[in-house]
Amino acid sequence: MSEPLKRWICLGCGFSYDEALGLPEHGVAPGTRWADLPEDWVCPDCGTPKAQFEMVVIGYAPGGPQLAQTA
Amino acid sequence: MNPTFVLRANERGHDVISSDGPTSSYVAGHPGAFITRESSFNFHQYQAGRPGFGPIRVFGDETFHGAGCGYNMHPHHNFVICAFVLEGELTHINTAGEGTVDRLRQGDYYVFSAGSGGKHCELSISPEDMNAIYLWVLPSQLYLPPSYHRGHFDLRTRRNQIIQLVGDADGALPFPQDLRVSRLVTDRKGAFAYAPRSAEHGLYLFVVDGTLTCGDATLGRRDSLGASGVKTLEFEAADATDVFIVETAIIDDDRVRAWEKEQAEAS
Ligand SMILES: [Zn+2]
Repeated sequence: MSEPLKRWICLGCGFSYDEALGLPEHGVAPGTRWADLPEDWVCPDCGTPKAQFEMVVIGYAPGGPQLAQTA
Repeated sequence: MNPTFVLRANERGHDVISSDGPTSSYVAGHPGAFITRESSFNFHQYQAGRPGFGPIRVFGDETFHGAGCGYNMHPHHNFVICAFVLEGELTHINTAGEGTVDRLRQGDYYVFSAGSGGKHCELSISPEDMNAIYLWVLPSQLYLPPSYHRGHFDLRTRRNQIIQLVGDADGALPFPQDLRVSRLVTDRKGAFAYAPRSAEHGLYLFVVDGTLTCGDATLGRRDSLGASGVKTLEFEAADATDVFIVETAIIDDDRVRAWEKEQAEAS
């Protein structure tokens, strides 16, 4: 069985990365694993390095995934 | 009951962030302005501390120095950010809802839930220093509608009692997480007790000024303590003591346990 898809949050600004959604607006396809983002990837909003993101288990508010997809 | 940990004022992370050079786009007020930041937990360049407390990721004691000092307009998502102004005046421009230009002075505080995205700018316009306590908390849900609320704690009339500023008590500002922030300002010595909602709720006490005694621990200005698994936390506060009491759910926190283990092994 494959690992469930995870969510990560930027500790510099709160920007979230969701493996299921990717970041199509920033060239990251849906389903892209956190581990597969380049090590020099930084938060698109605040420039915080990848190492200062934290994996979180937090659900979305209603309508959240649609908004997150275009963040 | 003794605290689970004690964090001394001088053990916190210390950053000085200049309005000149590489941080000039982030910090307002060039030339001459700068921000000092004392962090109870890991934050930005300071990565040697406790990773947080329950859903709390930042507990910062910040001072804006120099006319026009502050943070230029910048974005946030998800985090619930609070500021409690201790000294000076904070001008806060925030995009949540219809947008707000707010001016906060001693005793004023705000709760900004960034949710699906918001921006804010925070400035101390006058040459007087602005000192505030900042709290950043992970929300109960991602991408909530952004919101902004502000409140006031009257230091003169609400002495010698624990007053809830943020949380679910009457008159407290709402907060989208299982968390409550209270404040106690004394003008005489007294014994106090705080009973968290359950043993799964932890307490973080931060002494702004004065002296607090809890079990074997005596805390002075800007010292703090954490306690978890307690039914009631009893403590004594000296005359002229000002304390923040944060109560929050201690959700399964592997990062903190890993950090505590590392610390124990290193010592
Ligand atoms: Zn960020």
